[in-house]
Amino acid sequence: MTLPIAHGIAQRADLPITLGLFLFGSVVVLVVSFVALAVLWRRPLFEPYPWRPLSGFLGRVLSSRPVEILCGATGVALLVLVIYAGLKGQQTAAANFAPTFVYVIVWVGMVAASILFGDVFRAFNPWRVIGRAVALVARLATRGELPPPLAYPRRLGYWPAATGLVAFTVLELVNSTPDDPSTVAIATLVYSVLTFIGMALYGVDAWTTRGEAFSVYFNLFSRLSIFETREGVLGLRPPLAGLTRIQPGSGLVLVVAAMIGTVSFDGLSETGLWVDIGGALGDLFGSLGLSSETAFEASNAVGLVAMVALVFALYRLGIAGMKILDERRPAGQLADWFAPSLVPIALAYVGAHYLTLLAFQGQAITYLASDPLGEGADLFGTAEVGISYFMGARLIQWLWVALVVGGHVAALALAHDRALVVYRDEQDKVVPSQLWMLAVMILFTISALLLLLSSNA
Amino acid sequence: MTFVIAHAGHWLVTIAYFIPVIGFMAWLAVTQLKARRQRERPDSDRRPPA
Repeated sequence: MTLPIAHGIAQRADLPITLGLFLFGSVVVLVVSFVALAVLWRRPLFEPYPWRPLSGFLGRVLSSRPVEILCGATGVALLVLVIYAGLKGQQTAAANFAPTFVYVIVWVGMVAASILFGDVFRAFNPWRVIGRAVALVARLATRGELPPPLAYPRRLGYWPAATGLVAFTVLELVNSTPDDPSTVAIATLVYSVLTFIGMALYGVDAWTTRGEAFSVYFNLFSRLSIFETREGVLGLRPPLAGLTRIQPGSGLVLVVAAMIGTVSFDGLSETGLWVDIGGALGDLFGSLGLSSETAFEASNAVGLVAMVALVFALYRLGIAGMKILDERRPAGQLADWFAPSLVPIALAYVGAHYLTLLAFQGQAITYLASDPLGEGADLFGTAEVGISYFMGARLIQWLWVALVVGGHVAALALAHDRALVVYRDEQDKVVPSQLWMLAVMILFTISALLLLLSSNA
Repeated sequence: MTFVIAHAGHWLVTIAYFIPVIGFMAWLAVTQLKARRQRERPDSDRRPPA
C-alpha cells in the first residue's frame, strides 16, 4: 500500500508575505470581528429587515412585463444555442460557445450578477419560462380545467437541488472530458428533461423554489444583494439580510455544504497532495479492473464526495458544540437555522477560486458569441477580439485573501444576528454559542487560504 | 506497495495550522460541558452539609 504524501501543500513562491502571516492576519481579523460583534451588535438588525420599493423610472422599467418577457426569451434562446452549438459546432472547447457559456458565464458569472443585481437568474431561467408558457397554453387549451400539481413533499425539501448541484459538479470536476461541447449539450438536455418532469409533477413555482438546482443556488447568492423583488415590485433591502428569509427545509445544509465542498475539491485537485492521493486511489480502482479513465473519474468522485462530507461534518461539529448549551432545540433545527450564514463563505470560495476564470476566460465569450459553432462566422464583428490579462498575480492574491476573510466575517455577522433572534430570551447563550461558529469559520478560512495560496508542490 | 513520504514535511506543517483551532474547540467543549453539568446538578448537591 502507498501512503501518498510525497508532495504536500507548500507555499507559493510569489506570495507578497509568508503563508503563515496571511493565515495569522486572517484569523486575527475574524477574532477581532467576533469581539466587535459581541460588544457592539446587541439586537437583531436583519430580522425583520426594512424593504422599500425602488421608485422612479428605473424601478418601473425593471419590474415591467416587457422586460420580464425579454429576459425570459433571451434565456430560452441561450438554452437552445448551448444545445445546438454543443451538438452541431466544432468539438473543441476553445472554439465552441457551449462550454465557456455554461462553465464560466452561467456557473460563475451568474453568481456575480446575483450579488450585484439580485435574483437575475429567475428572470432568465429558461426552464421556468418554458414551464410557465406550457402551463399557460395548456390552461387555454383546456379552458382552465388543468388538474392542480401534486403538493411538494415536505420531506423532499432541498434534496433535489442538492443532488442537482453535486451532479453538475460531477460533470465539471469528476468527468475526464468536462469541456467536451457535446457532453455539455447532452447534460443540458438531460437536466432540462428532469426539470420539466419535476415542474409537471409539483408545479413550476414549487419546483423552481426548492427542487431546481440552479434556481436554488443562484437564489441563495442573490440574498446577499441589496435588490429584492416582492410581488413583482423591485425594491431595496440591507445587504446580507435576504438570507434571513430563507424557508428552512431538509437538505438545506447539504446544499450549502455542496456549494463550499465542491469548490474546495476544485482547489484541492490542483495541489500536489491530490495528485498523490488521487493517483493512489486511481491505482486502487485500476487494480479492481477499471480502465485508467474510469479509475481517474472514480478517484475524483471519491474526493468530491469526501470534501462535501467534510464541510458538512465540520458544520455539524459546530452545531453539536452549540447543542451543549442548548438543551431545548434539536440539533437538526439549529443546523437549518444557521445554515444560511454559510452562504457568504460559499461566495468567498467561488469568488476566490474562479475570479481569474471569470475575469480572463469570461472575455472569450465576446468572440465565441460571434462564432458560436467555431465555423469562422463573425456575427457581431467580435470574432477577432483577444483576451486581456489585466490583473497581475499580486493583485489577484490580495483579492483572494480579501474575499475569503470578508466572506467569513459576513458569515460571523449573520450567525451572530441569527443567534440574537434564536436566543432572544436567553441572552447569556448568544456569545458562547457563537464561539463554536467562530471556531468553524476559522477552520474554513485556514482551509480556503491553504488551498488558494499553496503551490502544486 | 510503497509508502511515499518524501515530502511529508509540507503536509505535516499544513496540519499544524489547524492544531490551535482544534485545541480551542476541545477547551470550549470541556468548559461548556462542565458548566452544563453544574447547571444540571440537583440543588440539594450544592447545599453545604448540615
